[in-house]
Amino acid sequence: MYAFDIERPTSLADAKALLAGEAQALGGGQTLIPTLKQRLADPGTLVCLSGIAEMKGVTSGPDGVAIGGGTTHAEAAEGLKDAIPGLAYLASRIGDPAVRNRGTIGGSLANDDPSACWPAGALGLGATIVTDAREIAADDFFQGMFTTALEDGEIVTAVRFPVPEASAYSKMIQPASRFPLVAAFVARFPDGVRVAITGASEDGVFRWREAEGALSADFSPEVVTGQPEGPMIADLHGTADYRRHLCAVMTRRAVRAALDGTGGLSSAGA
Amino acid sequence: MQAFGSGRSRRRREDPRLLTGGGRFVDDAAPAGALHAAFLRSPVAHARIAALDVRACRAMPGVALALTAQDVRAAGFDGAIGAARIATATGPGAAPRRPWLAEDRVRFVGEAVAMVLAETLQQAHDAIEAIELETEDLPVSMLNAPGGPAIHDEASGNLAFDWSIGDPDATKAAFAAAAHVVEAEIAQPRIMAASLEPRGAIAEWNGGALRLDYNGQGVWGVQRKLAAAFRLQPEMVRVTTPDVGGGFGMKAFTYPEHYALALGARLAGRPARWMSGRGEAMLSDNGARALVSRAAMAFDADHRLMAYRVETDSDLGAYNGENAQFIQSELFAKVLTGVYDVPAAHLRVRGVYTNAAPVDAYRGAGRPEAQYVLERTMGLAARRLGVDPADLRRRNFIRRFPHRTPTGETYDVGDFPRVLDGALAASGGFEARRAAAEARGLRLGRGLAFYIESILGDPVEGARVVFEEGGTVALHVGTQSNGQGHETAYAGFLADHLALPDGAIRIVQGDSALIPKGGGTGGSRSMTAQGTATLAAARAVIEGFEAFLAELEGAETAFDGERFRTAGSNRAPDMLEAAAMARAAGREDLLDLWREGRLPARSFPNGCHVAEVEIDPETGLTRVSRYDVIDDFGNMVNPMLVEGQVHGGVAQGIGQAIGEFAAHDGDGQLLTASFMDYAMPRAHDVPPISFGTRPTPCPANPLGIKGCGEAGTVGALAAMANAVTDALAPWGIETLQMPFTPQRVWNAIQGAGRAAAG
Repeated sequence: MYAFDIERPTSLADAKALLAGEAQALGGGQTLIPTLKQRLADPGTLVCLSGIAEMKGVTSGPDGVAIGGGTTHAEAAEGLKDAIPGLAYLASRIGDPAVRNRGTIGGSLANDDPSACWPAGALGLGATIVTDAREIAADDFFQGMFTTALEDGEIVTAVRFPVPEASAYSKMIQPASRFPLVAAFVARFPDGVRVAITGASEDGVFRWREAEGALSADFSPEVVTGQPEGPMIADLHGTADYRRHLCAVMTRRAVRAALDGTGGLSSAGA
Repeated sequence: MQAFGSGRSRRRREDPRLLTGGGRFVDDAAPAGALHAAFLRSPVAHARIAALDVRACRAMPGVALALTAQDVRAAGFDGAIGAARIATATGPGAAPRRPWLAEDRVRFVGEAVAMVLAETLQQAHDAIEAIELETEDLPVSMLNAPGGPAIHDEASGNLAFDWSIGDPDATKAAFAAAAHVVEAEIAQPRIMAASLEPRGAIAEWNGGALRLDYNGQGVWGVQRKLAAAFRLQPEMVRVTTPDVGGGFGMKAFTYPEHYALALGARLAGRPARWMSGRGEAMLSDNGARALVSRAAMAFDADHRLMAYRVETDSDLGAYNGENAQFIQSELFAKVLTGVYDVPAAHLRVRGVYTNAAPVDAYRGAGRPEAQYVLERTMGLAARRLGVDPADLRRRNFIRRFPHRTPTGETYDVGDFPRVLDGALAASGGFEARRAAAEARGLRLGRGLAFYIESILGDPVEGARVVFEEGGTVALHVGTQSNGQGHETAYAGFLADHLALPDGAIRIVQGDSALIPKGGGTGGSRSMTAQGTATLAAARAVIEGFEAFLAELEGAETAFDGERFRTAGSNRAPDMLEAAAMARAAGREDLLDLWREGRLPARSFPNGCHVAEVEIDPETGLTRVSRYDVIDDFGNMVNPMLVEGQVHGGVAQGIGQAIGEFAAHDGDGQLLTASFMDYAMPRAHDVPPISFGTRPTPCPANPLGIKGCGEAGTVGALAAMANAVTDALAPWGIETLQMPFTPQRVWNAIQGAGRAAAG
């Protein structure tokens, strides 16, 4: 780790001002801190967003559920239990308790790791990402591995989720990191079904349109046949073929869990 | 003849301290003002060092010293670590020079090239980045077979040794006459120990005397090696160990950092501390396993084993680990033929250098590897011969003792059929569970493995019992707890034999200045060796007090297990009262006794593991759903601690079986250099483990105990592999190699499906 200064603003306005220069925003630090420890980044100044009260908490309203960008995974899981059980399940199975009590939804979405869980939930539900400057539809937000529509210094202040009729998340974990090797978030709305896949594609989280079409016509696991196209990630833990295969398996299982109302499945256990 | 049966379970008395932050580990023990060490490590696997310039580094803020191989020579030291060499028919194994700091070449990614000592760790790391290292790549050899690009001038074709044991002619003749021959190629990939606490040390000089505080498995061997390296009398080197967070064999040896740190502290004239980072540990700790074996069994028409043959290529990494040449050779050979009555056997092992970190001992050290090869081949044989795996084993068990094996070991005692019966009973009901799993779309497999292991290490150990003023008793031991619970085991043991309250006993370990010699911990030796010595010391204490009290009372006095009783006297002092009387009488000689115990022969723990795995054919995910163990450890001093050792050992075996795998690319770069890619087992991966015993007390020590520290791992690997291949039997998969990761299992099923379709 290189030496750095840390600022702890308590308001969004102060955070914005501090981030105007060369400083780096720090959410829960679940990616940034390990990166710093390996001396792979030398940000000079970190602006810690965890002390900003207006960026925390889960609120339900007629238009859906809003989660503050600084809300931890554990707080989100608790706050979403009744409103969107499938998304609560996703949040409750991220990493381990230490990760869930430090990592934040805003940090995860801004980082856009191709194997992160939140991008699947956000894209699968068609969420709206609210920043200090604007609102961005999830379909426009994710632009490839570690790449989003965010400008430098732009802060994810909240995420708004519409409430689906049913949703679920099914995750096959990578044995070492316990990130998704492949995971699918499936959400059924009155006007159709959305399917978002994380962990699989070299382009990051994506919607599997063929599966969405078939499931919109008949929301049952059997209709999920075939495999998504496009370049798949290949690494030590999974070939491209294996990941492509898992896209369909995880989607079918998510549909089954949505129908059962269980919220989801994880290969890391209950 | 057994003097004692098993003891009683006592809860671990060290745990409240260790679990509430009260442990004192090496990084907690550094003196104020100690300089922080950091190492520049080779970024490439094989290269000539074209330039190494530390001038800019020396000018960095806070830097007290920058040390290179050139500085080691300038200080007048040879600067290399030795290693034991195996004797082969054509001479000793190769002895390539292993420098403390790389000299003209680097030979693996992570090899120490230079060390910096600075006022703060931050400054040390900053200064490391100011070192200019220029390298010219050399061809990299990651081939675990002789003949890759040359790594050492001292080892032609990268061959460290070519060693054999057994009777090749008898084995060959038996194979020629066999009714059935079963052959298998069995790989055991390189893994990492990944101890919870990485390696670390503190070095400090006082006048001409060196003190090294380090986290290891014993102090006396390190004392001897440091004394030799720095040309000191051994008494001028004091080696100590604070609490140690896991060793597993990986911490049983010295490493370049220990010597460089000691020299750096001397040249800087200041104490120096070093604590490895996790990534650094993954690159520079001794690796484990890393071998490929070709095994063959010859059976007669009645399925009796006629002969067994194994040829192994053992990847040693870039240099000899201090004991590495013996692991897949002599230690493997100790249990080559396991629990079976095999008339003829032959083992040939070639040790090979590769451009990766050295490989040395890891929990079981050669014996898990041997039992894995044997029991996987046995499982394959049962399948090929169409017989029940338990029946095939039962038919071939050794039944008469003592039994001399084809590799020259003498098994003292055992009752393998009884252990097997116990394991089969404990694991009953499989077919119903399999049917239930099938109904959920999962494939259940069951794997049986019978193991035997041989206790290793120094057969001699000492124990010193000191009655201290204030009513406490210190027991000085020659072993080293790395978390096993020695404090509980030894205190309970002495408490039972001297009728003392556990709380009155204090265990002293890991200080070469307080304890003149000891064998350290390794090879599952601690309880057998230390228990035997402690028993001798306890007996000496009792005899001394009996004679003293008899003289005082003028009549014969005997200890009845609780108090000293003298005929015709109302005084019946307990142990602490007797000690106080001796002290009052000026008999200090009775209050401080040292005794040595020697094990006349080795003990052979054995047991049967039955693993059940559930495989999801759609994803390849393998989950261990049930695990039953029946062991023969002889008598047990603290059955709860023994069971804990078995649980930990099995968990370590499961980890190796389902996930652990150190992967390198062709350039020798470690691909699994963090826990993001190196898959440690988690609590969720390990099911409840049932544990039972069918003891046949060991006749080779007065306690009748056999040792248990490595046994869980020794049995687990083959049980897991046999369970996975049983589950995959419908696809015709016979010898899938570890680790059984989801991708690998799924690929195997896909491949089998294609083969069937094609």
